[in-house]
This record gives sequence, C-alpha cells and structure tokens, in this order.
Amino acid sequence: MLRCLLTFATLVLLWALAGQANHALASLQVYLFPGGLFVTFAALRLSSRGGLVVALLAGLLNDAATPLPFGTQMLLFAAACLVIQSVRDRLPHEAVFIQVVVALLANLALFVAFSLLRGHSVAGVAWARLGVDLLCSQAALLAIAPWFFALQTRTLQLLRPGFSAFD
Amino acid sequence: MPLPPKRFDQAKPFLTLGFVVAGWLILPVVLKTFLRASFFEFQAPMSVAVSYARDLREYWSLRLHSNRELIEAGRDLGRLTASYELNVQENATLRAEIARLQDLLRLPTFAPFRAEHARVARRDFSGWWQQLVIRKGRNFNITVGAPVIFSGGLVGRIAEVHAYTSVVELISSPTLRVAGVVEGDIENRPISFQGGINPSFASPRGAIEFVPLDIYASPEVKRRLVTSGLGGVYPAGLTIGQIVKVDTSTDGLFKTGEVELDPRLSSLSEVTVLVPPEQE
Repeated sequence: MLRCLLTFATLVLLWALAGQANHALASLQVYLFPGGLFVTFAALRLSSRGGLVVALLAGLLNDAATPLPFGTQMLLFAAACLVIQSVRDRLPHEAVFIQVVVALLANLALFVAFSLLRGHSVAGVAWARLGVDLLCSQAALLAIAPWFFALQTRTLQLLRPGFSAFD
Repeated sequence: MPLPPKRFDQAKPFLTLGFVVAGWLILPVVLKTFLRASFFEFQAPMSVAVSYARDLREYWSLRLHSNRELIEAGRDLGRLTASYELNVQENATLRAEIARLQDLLRLPTFAPFRAEHARVARRDFSGWWQQLVIRKGRNFNITVGAPVIFSGGLVGRIAEVHAYTSVVELISSPTLRVAGVVEGDIENRPISFQGGINPSFASPRGAIEFVPLDIYASPEVKRRLVTSGLGGVYPAGLTIGQIVKVDTSTDGLFKTGEVELDPRLSSLSEVTVLVPPEQE
C-alpha cells in the first residue's frame, strides 16, 4: 500500500509540473498531455492490483480539474493499465527504452480516445490543433520519461533499496 | 489440461475492467461529487502556492527597476488617473440621467454587479477545453454562472466554485455559447457565438451563427461583437471579439462567420468576476 502511495505521490508531482508547463504554454495555444506517464510505471513495475489502484487514483486526480464527466480519465487510465499489464510478461519491462516506448504508445492511445470522446465539439481546424498538441506531447514525454521513471524507481527504493519489480 | 486456466488468465484484465466500469456506474452521485470535490481541494493548494510563488518572482523582478523608471511610471499613472477621474465624473452624470429617465418612464432598475478582482492561478488551454483557475471562491461569495471580464472584454463565466478557488470557462472554450449583437446594429438583433477554434501559435477564434444578411465584415473591415444582455447572465455591451468573416449559410436565411478573440485571453494573470447582486 505504501508503495502505491509513493508512486501516486510522484504522479502528483508530474501533475503539478505538467500544469505549470501548460500554464506557460497557454499563450502559444499548445497543450502537453502526459497521460501515458500516469499509467506506464505503475502498470509495468507494480503488482496487478497495486498498478490498477495507482492508475485509478491518477485518473481521479486528472478528472477533478477537467470539465469532463467525472471518472472519464479514471476509466481510460484503468483500461490502459490493464492492457499494459496483460502484455508486460512478454516485454523486457525493466529496460528504460521499453518503458519509454510503452509510455509513448499509451499516451497516443489515451490522446486519441480522449479526442474521440470530445468529438462532438471538435471539428475542422481543431483536428490540426490536436495534431500539434499530440506531437508536442509525444516529444515532451520522450524528453522527460527516462528522468521520471528513474525518479519513480528511486522513490520506491526509499522503501526497499533493492527494489526492482513488483510487490 | 493447462488451456482453460490460461484462457481465463487472458480474459482476467478485461473482466477486471468490466468490474471497475460497473462499480463506477453504480456508485452513487453523492459519492462521486464528494470524490471530485476532495480531489480538487487536494490539488488547489498546489496551484495556489505556485501562483503565489509566481507573484513573488514578479515582485522581485519589479524591484530591479531603477528609480528613474519608477518615477516615469508614476508620472504616466498620474496622467491616466486624471483622465479616469474625468470619466468617473461623466459616468456619474450619465447614471443620474439614466435614473431620471427610468423614473420618468417607470422602467425597472438594474442593480449593479459587484466587481471582484482575482488573480489567475492556473491556465488550462487544450484543444478540448479552455479554462482558468482563479484564486477566489466561496470565501468571496463567488457564484456559479457569474460573468468574468478583463480590460479587453468578456473572459467567460464561472463554471465551478470551490472553497477558495473557482474555475472559469473561457469564451474560447467549445462548450460555451453567448448571445451577442454587432456594435452599431440599431435593431440589436441577437447572434449566437460559440468558441472552439483555437489553432496553435495563433489567436483564439470563435464561430457565429444566425447573423442577419445585411451584416458585412472582413479582415480589413472588422465589426465588434458585444454581449447582448439577453438572458441576464452577461451585462450588455461587453466586447466578445471582432467579426472578421461572414458567409451566407447553406439555408440562405442567415450568415455564419468567424470572430477573432483578444489574444491577451491566453496570457491573463488577473480577471474581474461580476457577482450578480441577487445571488449575494
């Protein structure tokens, strides 16, 4: 449980940092969506139940500040987490490269799902905007993912110095 | 016979997802509302603390200005104050005239809004929604639906009120509709405005519908779109944006077009909430 809380604490930090980045980028009309980072580490490195709990909490954290129906991101994050968990045994998931690739794919899937859910209000030029946002989000994620995964691993090593994977 | 358990293992994540979805759907609305409020209030101190840190940084950067710059700024401010004082006097005369005419014609009087200035704690401008979090909430009697303005005109309306923060839905958001009129239109015919055209690296724009056929506008000859005052939510005469394009709609009865919004909307650091008097 403590492991889940510590992982969630790192996600709160990510939420705050992403919020500040988006605050600064608002004048450029560019938005960074780091959804993939909220689920990847928990899905790959924690136990099935622990990973799901962290993904649910991260979804609720993001949901609280958005005008979407409450629970939308929670369910999307849970779905992403469960899909990653179902394939993680076939992946060398301790390799940072694999984690980054999984995060990029998860981010892409979540971004597309999100855009389709908001499709009723998105038309024409808005798709171009979403394309730019997606490109910027993927680039930003590629840049910070190795640091963020290292931070999450180090945070869990506070509990158990030899932490490598799973509860 | 290892096949059946393996098949179950493969389906297990999706069964779990099914349980999560079902559990969420049957969760009472009260609990969901409580959860949402709890998570928002959990986040609010972080956004507000960072916002105060930003203000402090700005303060220290302002402290670096030389005395000469401060004297010049004070002089400019003095001139501005003098011209505003003149406007205040004119305003008082006009208000007295309005009150006299309302009394003469037995028209209903409108109580003024209370202006509550608030700092912006967080900007959230995605392609899906556009909103601000401001540093005033229930502690300043802010109410849901109250209009929010800045020196350039209308910003949006209060969408949510929390303990000491509020969420402002911007006019550039695809979900906000406002009734407007074209400045100078003697008949004050209402036009429907909706935000949502927010291209990257450019000013936000909005779409207008039900524009009368005799209204013309182009990027060279822009027309100002202001709030109509219909519905009683927004006071009349607040600038929404500049109409830069109108085309006849497919049915030929009206025109549709595009409105260029103030580029400062994306970099606001302070706004004013107009709290309606009857809700205080």
